[in-house]
Amino acid sequence: MKADVAVVGSGLAALIATRSLQKAGRKPLLIWPGLSSLYFVYATVDVLGYSDATSHQPVERPGTAVAALIADHPDHPYARAGLDALRDGVALLMEWLEEAGFRWQGSLDHNLLLPTAIGTPKPSCLYPQSMAAGDLGRDEPIVLCGVEGYEDFVPELAASNLSRSWGRGDQSVRAIRVSLPGFEPGKMFTSIDLARSLENEAFRGEVVEQIRDKAAPHSDHVRVGVPAVLGLTHDTDVYQRFQSELGHPVFEIPTLPPSVLGLRLFDRLRKHLQETGVEIIWAAQAHAAELSDGRCRRIHLKSAGREQPIEAGAYVLALEDMVDGALRAGVHAVVDPFFHQSLAHHVVPTERTDESLFKPQPFASIGYGVTDRLQPAAGDGNPLARNVFLAGGAIAGYDPVGTKSRGGLAIATGYRAAKEAMAA
Amino acid sequence: MITEELGTFSDTVEEEAPVEACTKCTACNTVCPVARSTEIFRGPKFLGPESERYRSQPEAAVTAGLDLCSGCKLCEVTCPSQVTIQEYIRRAQNKGAEEKGRTLRDWVLGHTRLLSRFGSMTAPLANLGNRNALVRWAMERVLGIHHKRPLPRYQWLTFERWFKRRPRPAKARRTVAYFYGCWVNYNERRLGEHVVAILERNGIEVIVPKQQCCGIPAVVNANMDLARKYGGENVRRLNGLPANVDIIASSTSCGLMLKHDYAHLLDIPGAEQVGVRVYDICEYLWMLHEAGELDLDFQPVTTRVLYHAPCHLKSHGIGYPAMRLLRLIPGVQLEEVDEGCCGISGTFGVKVEKYDLSMKIGSRLFEAVKAAGRDSVLADCETCRMQVEHGTGARSAHPIDILARAYGHR
Amino acid sequence: MPDTTTGVVVIGGGSTGAGALRDLSLRGIDAVLLEKGDLASGTTGRSHGLLHSGGRYCVNDPAAAIECVEEGRILRRIAKTTIEDTGGYFVSVSEEDLAWEPRFVEGCAKAGITCERISVEEARRREPALSQHVRTVFWIPEDGHLDPFYLVMGNVESARRRGAQVRTYTEVTGFLKTDNRVTGVLTRDAITGEETSIGCQAVINATGAWAGFVARLLDVEVKVVPVKGVMVVLSHRVAHATINRCHKPGDGDIIVPALSVAILGTTSARVPHPEVLPIEWDEVRQMIEEGALMADGVSTARAMRAYAGVRPLYDLGAEAEGREMSRNFAVIDHEERDGIAGFASIVGGKVTTYRLMAERVTDLVAQRLGVRTPSTTADVPLNDHEEEMDQLRHRPAQLGVPKPHGDELGLQPLICECELVRPQDVAPWFKDPAVRTLEDIRRRTRSGMGPCQSAICSYRLAGRLVTERGLDGATATRAMADFLETRWRGVRHVFWGSQLRQAQVTAGLHLELFNLDRQLMFQSQAPSDALLPPPLPGEGRGGGEEAHAPQVASKR
Repeated sequence: MKADVAVVGSGLAALIATRSLQKAGRKPLLIWPGLSSLYFVYATVDVLGYSDATSHQPVERPGTAVAALIADHPDHPYARAGLDALRDGVALLMEWLEEAGFRWQGSLDHNLLLPTAIGTPKPSCLYPQSMAAGDLGRDEPIVLCGVEGYEDFVPELAASNLSRSWGRGDQSVRAIRVSLPGFEPGKMFTSIDLARSLENEAFRGEVVEQIRDKAAPHSDHVRVGVPAVLGLTHDTDVYQRFQSELGHPVFEIPTLPPSVLGLRLFDRLRKHLQETGVEIIWAAQAHAAELSDGRCRRIHLKSAGREQPIEAGAYVLALEDMVDGALRAGVHAVVDPFFHQSLAHHVVPTERTDESLFKPQPFASIGYGVTDRLQPAAGDGNPLARNVFLAGGAIAGYDPVGTKSRGGLAIATGYRAAKEAMAA
Repeated sequence: MITEELGTFSDTVEEEAPVEACTKCTACNTVCPVARSTEIFRGPKFLGPESERYRSQPEAAVTAGLDLCSGCKLCEVTCPSQVTIQEYIRRAQNKGAEEKGRTLRDWVLGHTRLLSRFGSMTAPLANLGNRNALVRWAMERVLGIHHKRPLPRYQWLTFERWFKRRPRPAKARRTVAYFYGCWVNYNERRLGEHVVAILERNGIEVIVPKQQCCGIPAVVNANMDLARKYGGENVRRLNGLPANVDIIASSTSCGLMLKHDYAHLLDIPGAEQVGVRVYDICEYLWMLHEAGELDLDFQPVTTRVLYHAPCHLKSHGIGYPAMRLLRLIPGVQLEEVDEGCCGISGTFGVKVEKYDLSMKIGSRLFEAVKAAGRDSVLADCETCRMQVEHGTGARSAHPIDILARAYGHR
Repeated sequence: MPDTTTGVVVIGGGSTGAGALRDLSLRGIDAVLLEKGDLASGTTGRSHGLLHSGGRYCVNDPAAAIECVEEGRILRRIAKTTIEDTGGYFVSVSEEDLAWEPRFVEGCAKAGITCERISVEEARRREPALSQHVRTVFWIPEDGHLDPFYLVMGNVESARRRGAQVRTYTEVTGFLKTDNRVTGVLTRDAITGEETSIGCQAVINATGAWAGFVARLLDVEVKVVPVKGVMVVLSHRVAHATINRCHKPGDGDIIVPALSVAILGTTSARVPHPEVLPIEWDEVRQMIEEGALMADGVSTARAMRAYAGVRPLYDLGAEAEGREMSRNFAVIDHEERDGIAGFASIVGGKVTTYRLMAERVTDLVAQRLGVRTPSTTADVPLNDHEEEMDQLRHRPAQLGVPKPHGDELGLQPLICECELVRPQDVAPWFKDPAVRTLEDIRRRTRSGMGPCQSAICSYRLAGRLVTERGLDGATATRAMADFLETRWRGVRHVFWGSQLRQAQVTAGLHLELFNLDRQLMFQSQAPSDALLPPPLPGEGRGGGEEAHAPQVASKR
């Protein structure tokens, strides 16, 4: 099959790349190997939460902090993509979300501190409106509300931690629980089930009433944090009704997967691409780039029954991590699926990781060195293929975990790779 | 130590069984149309890879709720780790049926070909019966087929017999074999006529090898032995075709069985050689177009249509060739309605205990279709078309029908 | 005056200690068990779980083989819910193996081990996993899997029902003595540091590989040689029955299908201290490569983690090393040997013979206490209170009921989705004072023992530490982090393929979604009222790195 530009990936990098190509009047083909397995991290889009993996101090102004990071680390993927790519990419995403009917907030000028499901403040750059009232820069007391029998958000745990790190005196953070009709302990249910049920007005009414009774016996000025289950598909539809019915500010807190927030975001963006005419090839794992004369002639899809060649003018390879197949780790070697270059060789698998889960992991930084146009570089620094551009986890040094920069890195590299693909 | 004999472990890259690849990311559960519609379903993650770890026990096969899986395969489509979730569910369901026995209803639904043959032979009577309230009440009580579910109308003249009677075109650039499937044969001959006409218009000779049901109704009704029997017959016959003859299917799910499931789910010997030369009709026509061989002399077709991509089309991994084709036709205003699964999943939504769930799954699609108010809804899959018509009252058609109109067929 | 008194103090919460506690309680003797970590956290819980028919020892160590035969049959009567009666294969894959066969057959005959030669074709029909390298096969119906955690918990619960007490995370720091008679022990709590004393008439030292350290507190010597064994866990059973290589026992020659996983074992290397158990890559690789010689699917399965255990081999003074040493056991009567009354040690042996070991040492102690009631542990079933045992643990893959992967599981919620652990399976343990970490919950429920290695259940369990234990968030969070870290250290050794992808999911969930790394930084600065013991040492460190060696008392 022929295409103008083929974009491979399912995470934010691929979506941003596809959207920017589309906006530029190109005809991208999105090859989608399955929902990004880290979709659940995308409750918010984090650009830079901490300037490095060991810093305690949250970044206040992510745009400025990324600029400083670029100045200090010219090989960092942010530096390779460039600050402009981040800025333009963020602007593109925010416009896109609005056009797609979603209400997101935030900017590169400011990180908001939002509570996580363990009650830890986390610096977040872009976030859905439904999370904004969790802003820990505000002083109103917080009531965290859980659901009996729902194990994927424990308000007591979150409230205890939050009151220690943020608390504004007695009773400033409290945990309550509601018991929902049809969702009793002893019966299995998930965030998906709650989200679907909360779309129902009568059901929501019962929930709201219980929360109202329990949330504010002493003070009217509380905000209520709930697990992110306010509606399955739309980001603010159910949320706004819920909030106005409750009469208190409400904010969602991301839960263990299944993640309704991540699902809503990815579902909506993918769907909007389709609605606006972008073709998506589902369920096809792409691999094996055919090279000649310094260009990629084809990549191959593992379609049902046979390999299907895709011939495009340019390729944006935007897989984001090992889980979605950006790289594959054997017992000793780490290779990429397209060029099959051995990117690392470990005699002993323990070399790949730190002894602690909570430290930066060497394996996360494995990837291709890239040219200043984000082309994968061969050993001599020249591009392996002039019309291939990398975004996401196949780029060396791409490790968003410790710095909380997953979204920003995806946006910057995705945007820049697409821009270069247009010029290829 | 005999390391050189070890193969995979010493290799540089993992080659694990797909079931081992699950990382519990739960993406499958978020997209599963059944899990999104009811809380009585544990979801694909649990029924597939998680339960599979326990199924290596000699006697443990059954997991509660397996029958609630509709078989849409969206879990597999969505899995970032390429776990073949459906295959594990189907195998377990089949093993469960072997241990516990099948209901008469599931036996009947697995044998749709027999049923259709009978329906076709007695067409006027059968159609009358299928619309008779008393008959439907009896069918629900005896067979467990929901009385509200419209059943397909049978035609007396089958595609097979129609094809035999028609004159052969003179010259052709190449030859393809048409796998028309039970639907075209017994219910919608016109679609088959259109496929033949379009291919011939493009200088391609169509032959129609003798064929059996593709087996998917048997697979989803937990009767894999029957599916394997059907599949084996098809594989044997299709492998008998000359090597340069491609195989065309106009039904999404039949095509997927031939392409993929025969070789992987059913382990039918020789199936890979069949799968590699099977094409969906629209996929094939688009390939002709890319090769510059498609006749683009279309008459304008002034129509506003919605396109619904069947779940199983996503599993083909070929994108939406029907949309690409239709965009070549002047006058066609085409928009995709992406509201996920329609809910019928073949025979799933026919069953008395699944009917309401099936309609609930499809409700988002129905609302979107009603809101869009288009002339008709296009879908490559026949049961999707039935469901959309039933859920919305809208008309529906196979994309090929529009193409046929553009070529001047009515 | 001691703070409390009892009849007998048992030191050591492995299978032997738990067995002794039960034996004492069945004889009506008051007893307290003290364990410096958690129950089954030392040798027992880190065994490969092979219930020995005796076949493995029948040539080199016939006495141990005969014990295995007898004890195996007793355990099938009294502890059948802890056993998967899988049967086992002894397979030959090389010329040397074939040469070993006549001795093996003779050894089996002498020890009374049922052993049937079957054709390779017949064996493959029964066990399709047998590899192409397999040349000859013996069927040993009495090999099986013995769940070490359930075994210990079962003994302890049975003893508790008869009034015995258990204190975990309680280290013995010294003894009370009157003249040359032990009259009690001094203990220290691993969390609070609180020191107490327990008066008693006798002490049983059932600390296995640690027996020498305990004995030294009384200035007597017990020579135990700690011998490390490394094991690799695969994410599913691979085979229906246990598989042994039919040769002189060596490295990597056992595959044990254990509940939902398969365990490959093991190596044999002397270590300086029972808590210094580095796992070397060569050992991990060897387990997989040797396992693959016997069964297909070993090298392609998802390796979930590696762990190391320590054998407490008793040094009889011979020149023997490691596997050459007898797996037999010895009861040391310190009154007779060292002139210290009220103190007995039980050393050597293996999990399969724990009951006999417990019986023998209890016989001695009972005799000295003048109690004439004989041991009844060979006759009284472990789960004499059937319904309470069902509460003990819910065991997914085990043969028999409850079969939670069947219809019964229905739509019950799950805490650990990998290992099918329900809320009601974990709930009772949060009320048990012996349970103090999430690892302790894991040992009792299998929560966290599946492919994701606690990525999901750790949060749910931490939540319950707050809601059911009343801990504060920081302590519960610390417990969650410790749980993840302990798992991580074992998984690190097999970080390739799916398990490395899993690591990214785990990190994404805990570090990115929860911001757990920053929570821990914050907690380490803030004053903590932690109520948790420190993580247990020896959980699979190593991999070329200098293992952290705990303080070892100076060696003579």
